Amino acid sequence: MSYIEFKNVVKKYEMGEITINALNKASFQIEKGELVVIVGPSGAGKTTALNILGGMDSVTSGEVIVDNKRVDHLKSKRLIQYRREDIGFVFQFYNLVQNLTAKENVELATEICNDSLDPVKVLKKVGLKNRMDNFPAQLSGGEQQRVAIARAIAKNPKLLLCDEPTGALDYKTGKQILKLLQDTARKENMTVLIITHNAALAPMADKIISFKNGKAEDIRINKEPVSIEDIEW
Amino acid sequence: MKKALIKDTIKEIKNTHRRFISILLMAFLGVGFFAGIRASSPDMLDTIDKYFKDENVYDIEVVSTLGLTNEDIDELKKVDGVKDVYGTYAKDALIEVADTEAVAKIMCVEEVNKPSVVEGRLPENNNECVVEELFLKSTGKKIGDKITIEIEDTTDDNGDKISYLKEKEVEIVGTAKTPIYISRDKGTSKLGAGKVNYYIYINEENINAKDIYTEIYINTEDGNKYKTSTQEYEDYIAKIKENIEDIKNSREQARHDMLVEKAQEKLDEAQKTFDEQKADAEAQIAEAQKQIDDGKAELEKGEAEINKNRQKANSEFAQAQKQIDNAKSQIQSGESELNAKETEANEQMQSAQNSKAEIQSNLNMARDALAQVNANYNLINQQLKNLEGMQDAQSAKQRAELEQTRTVLENKKRELEENIAKAEAGITQIEQSIQNGKAELENAKQTLQNSKSQITAQENTLKKTKIDAYAKIQDAQTTLNIAKSELANGEAELEEKRQEVDEKLNDAEKELIDARDKIAQIENATWYILDRNTNQGYTSFIQDTKSVESIGVVFPIVFFVIATLISLTSMTRMVEEERTQIGTLKALGYTKIQVASKYLIYALSACLIGGTIGMFVGCNLLPRVIWMMYSMMYSIDIFVVKFNVIYSLIGLAAASICVVGATLYAVLKELKETPAILMRPKAPKNGKRVLLEKVPFIWKHLSFTRKVTVRNLFRYKKRFLMTIIGILGCTALIITGFGLKDSITAIIPNQFEKVFKYDMQISLKANLEEEQKNDLITELKDKNEIKDIVETNITAGNLINGNKEEEVQIIVPKDTNELENVISLNDRKSKENVKLNDNEIMITDKLAQLTGTKVGDTIKIKDSDDKTKEFKVSNIVENYVGHYVYMSKNLYEKNYEKYETNVLYVDDEDISQEQEDLLVKEIVDKNEISSVSPTSTVMSMIDDMMNSLNYVVIILIVSAGMLAFVVLYNLSNVNISERIRELATIKVLGFYDKEVYNYISRETIILTLIGIVLGCIAGYYLNVFILGTCEINALRFAKIVNPMSYVYSILITIIFTIIVNIVTYFSLKKIDMIESLKSVE
Repeated sequence: MSYIEFKNVVKKYEMGEITINALNKASFQIEKGELVVIVGPSGAGKTTALNILGGMDSVTSGEVIVDNKRVDHLKSKRLIQYRREDIGFVFQFYNLVQNLTAKENVELATEICNDSLDPVKVLKKVGLKNRMDNFPAQLSGGEQQRVAIARAIAKNPKLLLCDEPTGALDYKTGKQILKLLQDTARKENMTVLIITHNAALAPMADKIISFKNGKAEDIRINKEPVSIEDIEW
Repeated sequence: MKKALIKDTIKEIKNTHRRFISILLMAFLGVGFFAGIRASSPDMLDTIDKYFKDENVYDIEVVSTLGLTNEDIDELKKVDGVKDVYGTYAKDALIEVADTEAVAKIMCVEEVNKPSVVEGRLPENNNECVVEELFLKSTGKKIGDKITIEIEDTTDDNGDKISYLKEKEVEIVGTAKTPIYISRDKGTSKLGAGKVNYYIYINEENINAKDIYTEIYINTEDGNKYKTSTQEYEDYIAKIKENIEDIKNSREQARHDMLVEKAQEKLDEAQKTFDEQKADAEAQIAEAQKQIDDGKAELEKGEAEINKNRQKANSEFAQAQKQIDNAKSQIQSGESELNAKETEANEQMQSAQNSKAEIQSNLNMARDALAQVNANYNLINQQLKNLEGMQDAQSAKQRAELEQTRTVLENKKRELEENIAKAEAGITQIEQSIQNGKAELENAKQTLQNSKSQITAQENTLKKTKIDAYAKIQDAQTTLNIAKSELANGEAELEEKRQEVDEKLNDAEKELIDARDKIAQIENATWYILDRNTNQGYTSFIQDTKSVESIGVVFPIVFFVIATLISLTSMTRMVEEERTQIGTLKALGYTKIQVASKYLIYALSACLIGGTIGMFVGCNLLPRVIWMMYSMMYSIDIFVVKFNVIYSLIGLAAASICVVGATLYAVLKELKETPAILMRPKAPKNGKRVLLEKVPFIWKHLSFTRKVTVRNLFRYKKRFLMTIIGILGCTALIITGFGLKDSITAIIPNQFEKVFKYDMQISLKANLEEEQKNDLITELKDKNEIKDIVETNITAGNLINGNKEEEVQIIVPKDTNELENVISLNDRKSKENVKLNDNEIMITDKLAQLTGTKVGDTIKIKDSDDKTKEFKVSNIVENYVGHYVYMSKNLYEKNYEKYETNVLYVDDEDISQEQEDLLVKEIVDKNEISSVSPTSTVMSMIDDMMNSLNYVVIILIVSAGMLAFVVLYNLSNVNISERIRELATIKVLGFYDKEVYNYISRETIILTLIGIVLGCIAGYYLNVFILGTCEINALRFAKIVNPMSYVYSILITIIFTIIVNIVTYFSLKKIDMIESLKSVE
């Protein structure tokens, strides 16, 4: 059994009279420590799949197993616990708490986790040694995303989910962020999922899942992933 | 406006209906509360105005100390501005029901102050009455039952006592309400326990003491054109009162003169009667005297006659006696002569008798011899006879022998018979002579006897005549004697009568003198020209409308401000949320106004809809609710709810201006930016370090979440302020509600326990002698229930300082030191006990405040005769009800006349209420006492009044609660909406629902706590402010808030906060992380 099992997951949204099938029997597996890139056009169901995997959304049918644990039908409180202990999220727009300094933003996450990492160390790791006491508004986009990543990994999650982490960043900064994510996956042996619409990024991953019409149409395993630094797009 | 925009606006409303509704609700509350509370006071005024007009309630009342007459009515009718004048009768009576005695005001059904029938009908006959419902309720009587009205006899103009009523026993035929007593309190009475318990209406015809009215009620010509109690009304009435004032003196004089005249007339008549009676009595006595004198003369005459008669009789009888005596002596000599003759005759007769006896014996011998002879003869005859038959010779010899002897015998017999005849003739002769002698003697005797019996008869006749005569004389004497004694009696009687008459006349004369004195003593009549403001029920009602008005001034403003601020926050948030759209529209070329119009329409429509509903609901509901509460205190059935257009529109306009203004401000602020900037998401508000972080000592010790909370608090300053203001307003309103009650109810113990320590105030009648007063006081002091009595003199006056003037009571204690026992004179500031001195006065604090008087100032006091004197103020003393000036006896006497006690302050021993009631009942009847008012009665009276405040408190708490709820709910929504990303983020991070809630609520709690603390302070000042604005002239509110009131207010606020937080908890739970974290559009 794989570390993550996504089996025949269906997600339907009822929008008035219309029903949208965001996920239509999507299935894929991810192994522990894999860096996975999920690609596909808008509306293909990438984010929905990520949200379900992150315990932020429920399934209509199908099974989601993370580390031998069914997470698709968890009760509200267990689901929160799952998010709290097992998941790290990185968003396109960072979603930092503006009123907290970089360090505090990380602390916000570590406060609630049991085996969290030292926020200062994590921030050093993401290269923000000198920016720790700055407020998000005082940081650049890339720096903010680093804080967001630091916040996510400081929880020491089983799964790091990143939804378009470079979407709001320039090329160079985006590259640095992806590098950080790749390094983290490698060094910490963390399972990382990155959603991107940029297919060019695929080579950096261990596994590439292509979404189309709510299905994981193509799952490719990249035997020799390349460092992001070597990818140009 | 473009079609698309209209559509967009409508859609916007649909989509954000919660925000729309919350603005609508704020407008609803703000306008509704404003219009409703504002309308309440006018509605109440309209109600009493309508009620009074419907029942034709008087504008002016005239009462007089000597009653009022038809002439007064006629004169009053002539006064300018007076329309209708009604004379009527009202008097207190005792009604005994179920062993308890109650005091009832007996009134007559009139065209003025019409009682309205609740049940049954009005009295039509003299033996009928209507009562108030309360009477039936508390006595258990029913319609159809009879009650007896115990009413004191009254004195008519002639000074005679007459029964006040014709029928004392009356049947209850219905229940009614009267506009004269709209509140439960019906004032004081001299009867019973000193309080009027009920009113009873009777037929006017039942009044026996007609035509001396106790009251005159006047309706003015234009009084009904104004609303009662308004300035216009008061001014108009004051004008008419002045007109009446013009005839006051002459009418008073007329009434006095009339009484004097009547009394004089009566006196004159009495004098005349007296004189006549006196003359009459004197004549009668003279007549009687004359009769007695006449009788006496007659008696004397009679006596003389009797004496004369007696003398005459005496002499006549003496003469007759003499004659009789003469005759008697003649008879005596005749008798002795006769006796001699008789003796002689008897001697002769004796000798004749002797010769007769001799003859008789001869005769007898002869007769014997004859008898012998006869016997022999017969024997011979027999023998012869026997021989006759036998013819024998012997027989013949024998016969012849016999024949011979027989012849001898026959001879002898013849001889003897001759002798006998001869003797017999001699006897007869003797007997004849004896007979003759005897007859002769007898004759003489007879003659003597005759003359003797004649004399005796004469003597008897004389005797009888004498007896008769003397008897007659005696009778005459007796009659005379009776007449004499009668005369003596008559004389004594006359004497007695004379004395009696004298006495009577003396008495009558004394009475006349008394009556004359009384005429001299007839007091001057005093008219009191009163208006509705002396009607306790009416005044307290008007007072209540004023307090509702005062509440209506301040509270809706608080409401309004908060509602506006909240709408502003909501709208600002909305505009901020729609920043991108605004940018897009602007980029598309819409003008600022067009863009703004959406939001303006949104806000305005919410405001107008909410406000309109609010003003209708408010104007209808709030006055009714307030009325419902007040109607428990007043017996008015109707209630006039008018849609108060002005207040409604003011409220609506104000709300619209505030909300639209706020919206415009928010939109214009955004519109200033270029479309490009607008279309980009607004940079989230920057984080900032707070001041507290510079105090590492504290900061370091705060947990992470606390730090976050602290930082957040300072980040959303607007919301921070809004929440605090909301909570503050809520707490303050509730505290004010409680505080109002606390402050006002504190007046009673403050005044009647702290300041006035006496238990009873006794007013003495005017014109009592010093001795009477002293006797009364000694008597009262001897009572076990009474501990102490302090004598004072209380007069009314006006205190003038500059152009300010207030009516005051001037209290002058007989003994300055004793005053402390019943009244505490505590300095307003130092709270220390102060003493009166002989050069300065003390005044009470509210009085000082109203007239702007300070210690050391010199003020003027105007007495009832309009004379003013100047005094220096030594102290300003604590006081809560009324205005008083304290002055020492010496100072008083220096400035005014001699001190005279007219009010007694009584300090009871520790006695129960029942004992006190009994005591009051006992002493109220005393002639010297004009009224007794126990403090307990006064207190309970005020207490009743204060009860209405509970409703004010309830209204305030409920509305404050509603406000708090809406404010907090709204703010919480704004808070959530504003920070939705942040909240979604922490949810994603795995915060439990409770942690998310705490993340937010910690802020709310802190804000609430700050709000509560500030609210307590603000509440205190709001209370002071409101009390200041609605303070009644004569009262000084304590302006306190009890600690428990703070506790209650805080608890209530907390409860509202908790309710809102529960709602928040669920809205937080519902936050959709995915939606919230979607890329910014």
